Amino acid sequence: MESTIVIKARNISKTFHISEDSHNTVKHRLFNLFNPPRNKNLEAIKMMNFEINKGECVGLIGRNGCGKSTLIRLLAGVYPTDTGFVDINGTTLLMNLGVGMSHELTARENIYVSSSVLGMKIKDIDAIFDKIVSFAELEGFIDTKIKYFSSGMVARLGFSIAVNAGASIMFLDEIFAVGDMKFQEKAIKVFESSWIEGKTVVLVSHSMEVIKKYCGRTAYMKHGALAYFGETNKAVEMYLADNQ
Amino acid sequence: MIGNILKDWKSRSNKYERLWLLAKIEFKLRYYENKLGLFWALLKPLMDIAIYYVAFKVILKTDVPAFASYLFIGLVFWIFFVESTTGTIQILNTKKYLYEYSNMNKLEIYISTLFSNSIGFLFNLSMFFLFYHFFESQSNPISYNNLWVIVLFINLFILSLGCSLMLSNLYIIAKDINQIWMVFISFLFFLSPIFYKLSSFKESLPALEYGNPMAGIIINSRRVMMDGVAPDFELLAFDFGYAIFFLLVGIILLNKLGAKAAEKL
Repeated sequence: MESTIVIKARNISKTFHISEDSHNTVKHRLFNLFNPPRNKNLEAIKMMNFEINKGECVGLIGRNGCGKSTLIRLLAGVYPTDTGFVDINGTTLLMNLGVGMSHELTARENIYVSSSVLGMKIKDIDAIFDKIVSFAELEGFIDTKIKYFSSGMVARLGFSIAVNAGASIMFLDEIFAVGDMKFQEKAIKVFESSWIEGKTVVLVSHSMEVIKKYCGRTAYMKHGALAYFGETNKAVEMYLADNQ
Repeated sequence: MIGNILKDWKSRSNKYERLWLLAKIEFKLRYYENKLGLFWALLKPLMDIAIYYVAFKVILKTDVPAFASYLFIGLVFWIFFVESTTGTIQILNTKKYLYEYSNMNKLEIYISTLFSNSIGFLFNLSMFFLFYHFFESQSNPISYNNLWVIVLFINLFILSLGCSLMLSNLYIIAKDINQIWMVFISFLFFLSPIFYKLSSFKESLPALEYGNPMAGIIINSRRVMMDGVAPDFELLAFDFGYAIFFLLVGIILLNKLGAKAAEKL
């Protein structure tokens, strides 16, 4: 079967302009007309090209600050690119310790809103609602605002929504750190049974075991550049060599 | 081909559902959270009417006929505009959780919030209708021209959406836009014929009804809802022109500045 491309990145790059002064009000701008803010440019992502196919599980590794998180934000369409373009074919979900939820809403409302943002219809959400609640182990707290939840409860709810609703393209940033050991086991089980099959996954992790176990291809990043993209074992070797 | 069309229709129907879901939740958050509930939505215009009625009818002895209704309809339109602009300046900040983790279209966030305000508007407009026809002694009979209010509301909705887009995206680069807008909107309030007699407004500030889109909408709202006549079409055309212009500028700003909201806010 011919594989279809779900993410196509062409000549993408991203530079952050970090300003030393806070020129973010009209007053500041007026008073400092002839004193422009001193900007420091940080090249977070250097020019790169690649494609990700449907159903693939791609690893993304590299040392802290090498641009992994920025890259997945560009790919998920959360940040705009400075140059080039990212073609995304499907809904995306970026997940690091939970998904976007409003603390002013109840667990029930958050489940409906987040699942709907991920592209689900209300009657489909109705069908999986109980599953989401029981997976998150939050029965009895459905109509409580999540601002009264503990951080573990919020994380479990976010994880449960992502697991059960899920977008067609998932960006998972160190997700196996959620909840206690029992929850983690459950998370890994569901990850293996439902995400690896059918969904496109980009997995960011510092655990080489996880990367080796799940990823067919892996990208290794160094100082904002894509140093290698291909066979997982080779990427892991390069990463380990860099850590020496 | 047909599959694609069906798929597109299906995905779009999720979009409508989502807009409605977000609007409902927003509405509930705003009104049901407090004990007075939906009554708050009505209380605001009622309090304003009481204040202006005392000031202009009792003290200044204005001779506008059916003055309470005159104020009521003007304020119903004005309050929607204020809530949809002042109330949404920080929307990209407060609703960050919706776009921070996915590629959701930000325009949906605005439309759902304005839908939520529309529920309040509809409620207030119905209250006005009941008040005018059952309690106002100097009222005109119900006319099919009343239906023009739908067109006026669409005009108001586009205008508010455009202003909301402009303000909230400027907020990303200028955090004090909030204070500037507060000053501007109170200026605009006094330059709109909300409690002035229309003839003295036109005489003192000639052509301002064309310069201030809210003035035009309020003037037309009284024509269709109180006088039972068709709106002033020239004014209506001007106001639609303003609304579409602001919406275009707002969308350009959303694409230029709003795209960077996730990293700047």
